[in-house]
Amino acid sequence: MVAQPTIDATRDAGMTVEFNAMGGPCELRLAGLPADSANRLARAAIEEVHRVEAKFSRYRADSIVSRINAAAGGKWIACDDETNALLDYSDAMHAASDGLFDVTSGILRRAWDFDRSSVPSAARLAELLPLVGWTRVQRRSGEVRLPERGMEIDFGGFGKEYAADRAAALLLDGGALYGLVSLGGDVRVLGPRPDGRPWSIGIQDPRDPGRIAAHIEVIEGALATSGDYERYFDLDGQRYCHILDPHSGMPVAAWRSVSVLAPLTVVAGGHATVAMLKQAIGLNYLDSAGVPYFSIDAGGHFHYKNIGKH
Amino acid sequence: MQLTRPPKRAEEKPKAALMLAAALALPGVLPARAETAPEYGMIGVRYLHYLDEQSGLRRITVNSPSLVFLAPIAGEWSLEGGLTTDNVSGASPRYHTLVAGASKMNDRRRAGDLRLTRYLPWGTLAVGAAYSVEHDYGSKALSVQASVSTEDKNTTLHFGLGGANDTINPVNTVVVNEKKRTTDLLLGVTRVVTRKDIVQFNLTQSAGHGYYTDPYKTFDTRPRERIHNAVSGKWNHHFSGSGGTSRLSYRFSSDSFKTRAHTFSEEYVQPLPEGWTLTPSLRYYSQSAANFYVDAVYDPVLGPPFLAGIRPGSRQYISMDQRLSAFGAVTYGIKIARQFGPDWSAEVKLDRYEQRGSWAMFGNGSKGLDNLTANFVQIGLYRRW
Repeated sequence: MVAQPTIDATRDAGMTVEFNAMGGPCELRLAGLPADSANRLARAAIEEVHRVEAKFSRYRADSIVSRINAAAGGKWIACDDETNALLDYSDAMHAASDGLFDVTSGILRRAWDFDRSSVPSAARLAELLPLVGWTRVQRRSGEVRLPERGMEIDFGGFGKEYAADRAAALLLDGGALYGLVSLGGDVRVLGPRPDGRPWSIGIQDPRDPGRIAAHIEVIEGALATSGDYERYFDLDGQRYCHILDPHSGMPVAAWRSVSVLAPLTVVAGGHATVAMLKQAIGLNYLDSAGVPYFSIDAGGHFHYKNIGKH
Repeated sequence: MQLTRPPKRAEEKPKAALMLAAALALPGVLPARAETAPEYGMIGVRYLHYLDEQSGLRRITVNSPSLVFLAPIAGEWSLEGGLTTDNVSGASPRYHTLVAGASKMNDRRRAGDLRLTRYLPWGTLAVGAAYSVEHDYGSKALSVQASVSTEDKNTTLHFGLGGANDTINPVNTVVVNEKKRTTDLLLGVTRVVTRKDIVQFNLTQSAGHGYYTDPYKTFDTRPRERIHNAVSGKWNHHFSGSGGTSRLSYRFSSDSFKTRAHTFSEEYVQPLPEGWTLTPSLRYYSQSAANFYVDAVYDPVLGPPFLAGIRPGSRQYISMDQRLSAFGAVTYGIKIARQFGPDWSAEVKLDRYEQRGSWAMFGNGSKGLDNLTANFVQIGLYRRW
C-alpha cells in the first residue's frame, strides 16, 4: 500500500527563442524537455525577465526604484522583500569593491551625455558628486530613504544579471537540463549542449561590433562582460565610456572589456564591472576573487586566466 | 570561575570573494528543485485487457476499466486517486497447473484509492486510503508518507508507513470472516548524482498475520505469519545524444515463506518528433519456491492430486500453488504514447509475459508445471486541465 517514490521525466530536442528586454536582444535556448513544457517554461522565463525589468526600471514612473528616487530628501519608502534583497546586495557590492560599485552613481549620467560627445566641466561634476554615496542611503526595517533631494539609486548595474539568474532558476526548476539564458550578452548556462559539449560564447571585439574577439567555452555557470563599447563617445583619440568612477565622476579607461566566468550571472557581472572600475589593478582584483576571466586592455591585448578561450 | 571563549577570528577572505555569498542571498537566483505541487490537474481513463494461457488453453481473462485523476489544490496541495473495476472470468487450477481440475470463476473486483499530498519547502507529506471489494474478499488500507529534501534538493529521503486490513469470506465457506492484517514500512533515498543520473534505493518491510491460505485450492495450508523484506535500486540515465532516458532497476526480496526473488528490469523512453514517445521494456523475474510448496510429482498409482511420497495430512503447511513454485519469468513490451497539443495524450501498451520453471535462477526450478503465458493490452487517454 505504501507507494514507491517515483523518479523521472521524459525529454527531447531543443528550441531557441529570441526576444527583446533590458534594452537589448535576448535569447533562450532550451533542450531536454517535452515541447509543451519547453514552451510553457520559456514563456514563464521571458515573463520573469519582463517582470524584473518593469519592477526595477528607473524609466518607469511606477517602479519601486522611481518611487524611492522621487521621495529623495523626503519620506521613507517601504520596500518588499525582493527590493530589500537587492538593496542588501548593493551594500555587499559596495563593500566588496571598496566603494567603487555604487548604485547611487547613476546621477553622474546627468553630466555625461554620450550623444553630444562632450566632456563635462569639473564644476559640473563637482555639483553632482556630493549626491553620490551609498553610505548615505538610510535603511531601517524594510524601508529605505535617500537623504537628499536629487539623489538616485539605480539597479541597472546588476538588474540584467539578476533577471538572467531568476529566469535560469525557473528553467532549471522546470526540469531544463540543457540550454542557456542570454540577456544582452550576459549569459547564464543551464547545462551543456544536448550532446554534452560546452556552449561556445562569443566575446565581442570592443572596437569592431561585427567581430568576435574570442570564443569562450562554458558548460555551466555564467559569463558576463563589462565593456567600454556599450555607451561611449570618442574625443581626441580618447574613449569616454559609461562606466564611471563614483569618486571622480570620470569614465574608466584601463580596459576595453572584462569578461568573467562565475556560478551566477550577478557574480560574473559584478566582478567584471568592479574589475573595470579598479582600472590598473583590475586583474589583481580578479585574481583575489579567484574567478576565471578574459580581458582586453586599452591597447587591445588579451589577458586571460583559467578560461577555455579559442 | 567563568570561562570565556577566545574571540573567534574573522575568516580572512578577500573582499572580492564576498560577492558570491552576497549573491546567493538574492531571492530566486538558484534553482530550488523542490518537489512542487502540480500546476495542472489530470483526468484519464484506462482500459486493461489481460488474458493468460496454459497448456494451450485459456485460463483467466481480466477486463479492467479504470479512471485516474490528479487535482492541484490551492498551489500547495494535491489530491490524486483512481477507481478500477476488474471483471475476472475463467478458470484457475485447483492444484499445480492442471486445467482439468480447474475451478470456474466469474468475479468482479471494485477498487479505489485516494491520496492527499501537502507540498512544503522541505519536502512533502501525504496520507492515503484505499479499498478493494470482491464478493469473497475485502481490503481496506491506510498510509502516511513523508519526504524530506536537503537544501540543495539533490537528496531526498522517503519514509512510509501503511496498514491494511483484509476480510476473507470464501463461497465454499471453508473459513468464515477470516482476517489478514499487514503493516508496511518504506525507507528510501533518491539522489541526483549528475544532471543526467538519478539513483534511488528503497528498503521495504511488510509484516502480516492472518489467513494466507488459498481457500479454493486442494491441499493448501499456509503459515499465518508472513514477513516480507525487499531492497531495490533504480538508476535513471538520460542520454543527451538521443534525448532518451534509460530506467534500470534491480530488486531483491525474501520472505518468511523462504521465497527469494530477484527482479531485473530495464525500460528505455525515447521521445520522437510530433509528440510521439516509444518505450520498450524488458523484465526478468525469478523466485525460489516457498518451503512448503510441493512439486507436481504425483503418486504413480493414484495420480493427481495425490503426491508421490507425501501422505495427505502429514505436513503442517503445504501448497501446490504455482505462484509459490520456483520459476523464472520474462516480460517484454512496448508502450507507444502520443501527445496531442498541450492537453491531450494517449497511450497503448502491449506486454507479453512468459513463465517457466526451467527459467529459474535458483537450481532447476519447480518440476512438472506447464509454462504460463499472458498478454496485457492497455489503452489510456488523458486530459490535462
